[in-house]
Amino acid sequence: MTKIDTHSDPNELLDLLLEESTLKGAERFHRYPERKFFGYFCSYFPEELILAAGLDPLRLFPDSENSTPAELPAYSCSLARGTLDMEIREQWQDLVGIGFTHTCDTMQCLSGIWAASGHSKTIDIVPPVMLTAQGASRYYQSELNNLIKELTALTQQDITQQALQDALLLCAHTRNLVTELDTLRPNLPSPLVFAILRAGQLMPRADYVKALEQCLPALKDMAVTPHTRAKLLITSAVLENDSLFTMIEDLGGRVVADDTCSGYRHYSGHTLTESGDPLSDIIKRYSGMPSCPCKNRSLNERISYLSGLAKQRDAQGAIIVIRKYCEPHAWDAVTLAETFRNNGIRTLTLELEGANVGGQERTRLQAFIESLSEAPELSKEG
Amino acid sequence: MPDAQSTKHNEHAKKRNYRPLVSTKALQKTMGRYYAITNYHRYWGKPLRRPLAWVTSGAPVELLRAFKIHSAYPEQYAAIYSARQATVSLCEVAETAGYSQDLCSYARSNIGGVLRPDLAPLGGMPKPDLLVACNNICGTVLKWYEVLARHFNVPLLVLDTPFLTGELTPQAKEYVLEQLNAMAVDLEKITGRKLNQQSLAEQMRRSAEITSLWKETRQYCQASPSPLNAPDLFIHMAPIVVLRGSQEGINYYRKLEAEVKERVKLGQGAVNNERIRLVWDNIAIWPQLFSFYKLFAEKGACFVTDTYSGGWAADHAPGTPMESLAATYTEVFLNRSPEYRANQLINQIRDYKAHGFVMHSNRSCKPYSLVQEVIRRKVMRETGVPGLMIEADMADPRAYAEEPVRNRVQAFLETFDDLT
Ligand code: SF4
Ligand code: SF4
Repeated sequence: MTKIDTHSDPNELLDLLLEESTLKGAERFHRYPERKFFGYFCSYFPEELILAAGLDPLRLFPDSENSTPAELPAYSCSLARGTLDMEIREQWQDLVGIGFTHTCDTMQCLSGIWAASGHSKTIDIVPPVMLTAQGASRYYQSELNNLIKELTALTQQDITQQALQDALLLCAHTRNLVTELDTLRPNLPSPLVFAILRAGQLMPRADYVKALEQCLPALKDMAVTPHTRAKLLITSAVLENDSLFTMIEDLGGRVVADDTCSGYRHYSGHTLTESGDPLSDIIKRYSGMPSCPCKNRSLNERISYLSGLAKQRDAQGAIIVIRKYCEPHAWDAVTLAETFRNNGIRTLTLELEGANVGGQERTRLQAFIESLSEAPELSKEG
Repeated sequence: MPDAQSTKHNEHAKKRNYRPLVSTKALQKTMGRYYAITNYHRYWGKPLRRPLAWVTSGAPVELLRAFKIHSAYPEQYAAIYSARQATVSLCEVAETAGYSQDLCSYARSNIGGVLRPDLAPLGGMPKPDLLVACNNICGTVLKWYEVLARHFNVPLLVLDTPFLTGELTPQAKEYVLEQLNAMAVDLEKITGRKLNQQSLAEQMRRSAEITSLWKETRQYCQASPSPLNAPDLFIHMAPIVVLRGSQEGINYYRKLEAEVKERVKLGQGAVNNERIRLVWDNIAIWPQLFSFYKLFAEKGACFVTDTYSGGWAADHAPGTPMESLAATYTEVFLNRSPEYRANQLINQIRDYKAHGFVMHSNRSCKPYSLVQEVIRRKVMRETGVPGLMIEADMADPRAYAEEPVRNRVQAFLETFDDLT
C-alpha cells in the first residue's frame, strides 16, 4: 500500500512532505504510478468516499494566478481561472475524475464550464447550504448515495460497507494526527506547519499518514516554547503556497490559529466512527465541522467560532485574507473584522489576487505585526 | 423594474426610434400604489398585524402572502437607485464600511441605503420585520441577508434550493418541501396567524394566472415586427416581481396583453423598421437603459425576447400548492446547469426567429455571467447565429466603458448589413 516503512528516517520523511506540498501533485504519476488519483476542490467533497472507491484524493491547486482562460471572465477568482486553464492545457488528464461540490457561485459555475469545455470526467455533489435546516441530513444522505453510485460507475467497482468504514477510520486518524500538529503550531514555524497540512491533500493518503506519524515525534522535539512573536489568527479561502506564512514568520509573527480552506479547517471538526453507519457518521462530520462562509449552521456560528478560537489561542491579531473576486469570504470579512476588534483583537484585511504576497503586503504586514509587538496592551483595546 | 423609469421611457421612446406603450400609464399607477403602500407600511402594518418582509426576487412570496405579510424587494429598490443615478454614492458608503467593490452592486447599494437612507431615492426602504431569502438565484443573497439580519436583528428565514446539475431530483424536491413546511410553522409564530391552505391555493392560482399572462404577452413578440423591445420587457416586468399572487397584478397584465395583441394585429413594431431580431441575456444595464439600447434601435435592431424577464414566464409545477412552490422555485433557470440555459437560449432564438444574441457579462452577478462564454459557444454552434459579449454591470455605472461598448456593438451590427 505505501512505500514508507517504519524504519524510514523522520527527517527524510519531513523533506518528502515539504516537497509534496511544493509540487502540488505535479510529480504524481512518476512518484506513485500505481495509485489512481481523483481531483477535487472544496473541503466539502467527502474524501472518505474517494478513498472508499480505491482512489486517492488530490486537491486541485492552480499553477499560476495569472491565467486567463477564455471560458471564464477576468472577474472570477484566480483559483477557478488557474485550475480551468490547467484542464484546458490537459494537466489533469491522468485523473480518474474530478469532483465538484456546490459551495460558492464560482464553484457552481466552474463545474458546468469544466463539463462543457474540459476533458476530464466530472462528478457533482450538492450538499445542503443550510446545514441544520429541516430535512437537510436526509437530503445529504441521498446526495451521498448518489455520489457512491457515480463513483462506482467511474471505477467499475463496488464500494463496500467495509471499504467505507476503513476510509472513515483512515480519515479520522489523519485528522487526529493533524490536530496534534495543530496544537504544536504556536511553537513551530508557521510555513512548516502550513506546508505539512497542504501535503495531506496532495499525496496518497496512506503515505501521508505514515510519514506524519513518524515525523510527529521529531516535530514535537523541534517545537520550542515562545518567544516574543506576535500571535496571529489567519482566515482565508484556499492558499496554494506558503508565501503569506513565510512573510509573517520573517516579520516576527506566528500563526497560532489557521482557518484556511487548504489549512487546518480542512481537517477540523469531530469524526465519528462508531455508529456502524459510516454514511451517517460522514454526514455528521461534514455538517458539524467549522463551516466555511458558503455554509450556514446558524446566523453567527462561524463568527463566534472564530472569535472563540482567537481567544483560546491567545491571538493578538487577525489577518483576514480575501482572494480577489471571492465573494463568500469578502462578505464575512466585514462582520469578522468588527467582531475581532470588539474583542480587542487587531485586524488586518488583505486582498490578494492569488496566494502570493509581494512588496505592498510586506509593508502592511510589517506595520501590523510591529503594532502588535510594540503595544500589546493597546491591542486589548482594539 | 422602476416605475420612475417608465415616464422617462415614453419620453425617450419617440426620440429613440421606438413606440411608447399606452399601458405604461397603468404600470405607473400600479407600481406607484405598491410603493406608496410599502413606504407607508409603518402606519398601517402594526394595526393590521401585517409584518413587512424584505425578500429576494426568487422567494416564495405566495406563502408569505397567505400569511398577509407585505413584501418589499431590495433588488428592485436597487434597480430604482440605479435608474436614479444613486448607485455610485450608495455603493461608496458600503465600500467605506468594508464591503468589497467586487460584491454584487444590488447588495452593495442596498447596504449603502440601509446605512445612509438620506442618500437613497424614496428615502431608502422601510425597516423590515423579517427577512426571507431563497438561494435559487445565487449564493450572494444568503451572505447579504445574513448581514441584514445582524443589522436589523430580525428573523431570517432561508429557503435552500439545491442547485440542479440536471433535472430536479426527488430528494431535492423533498428537502425544499420540508423546509417550506418548516417555514410555514415559523411564519405562524411570527405573524400569530394559522396557515390558511385555501388562501395559499388562491395565491398560487392568481400567481399562475399572472405568469401565463406574462408568458402570452411575451409570445406575441414572435411576430414580425416584434411589438416589444427589451427595455419594454424590463420595465413591464416590475409587477410580476412584486405583485405575484395579487389581483392588481392580473388586472395590469390583462391590459398589457391586450395592447400588445393589438399591436401585432396592426403590424406595429416596437422599433421602427425592424430589421435585425436579437435575444438578450442577463440583467438589464439599468444606468444605460436608454443610451445602450438606442445603439441597437437606431439600426433597426430589436431585442425580441430575453432570458432575464423571461425567468418569470416559467409555468408553475404541478402538485399541491406546497409541492408546486417547492418545484417551481427550485427549477428557476439561474439554479440550473449551463447546458439547460444554453438550450433555453437556443429555443428562444428558434421560436423568435432571432438573427443573433447579445450577452451582458455582468460583473455583479457571477451565477448569471461566469457560464456565459460556454453557453455562447454552444448556442452559436447549434443555431449558427452570432453572439456578442458586452462587459458591464447591471447597476454600477463605473463598470461601463462607453466607447469600447459602442464600437463593439457597431461592429456586431455591421455583420447584419445584408439584412433588409
Ligand atoms: S470560495 Fe472563493 S476562492 Fe474558493 S472558489 Fe469560491 S470564489 Fe474562489
Ligand atoms: S448576485 Fe446576481 S442573482 Fe444574486 S442578488 Fe446579485 S444580481 Fe441578483
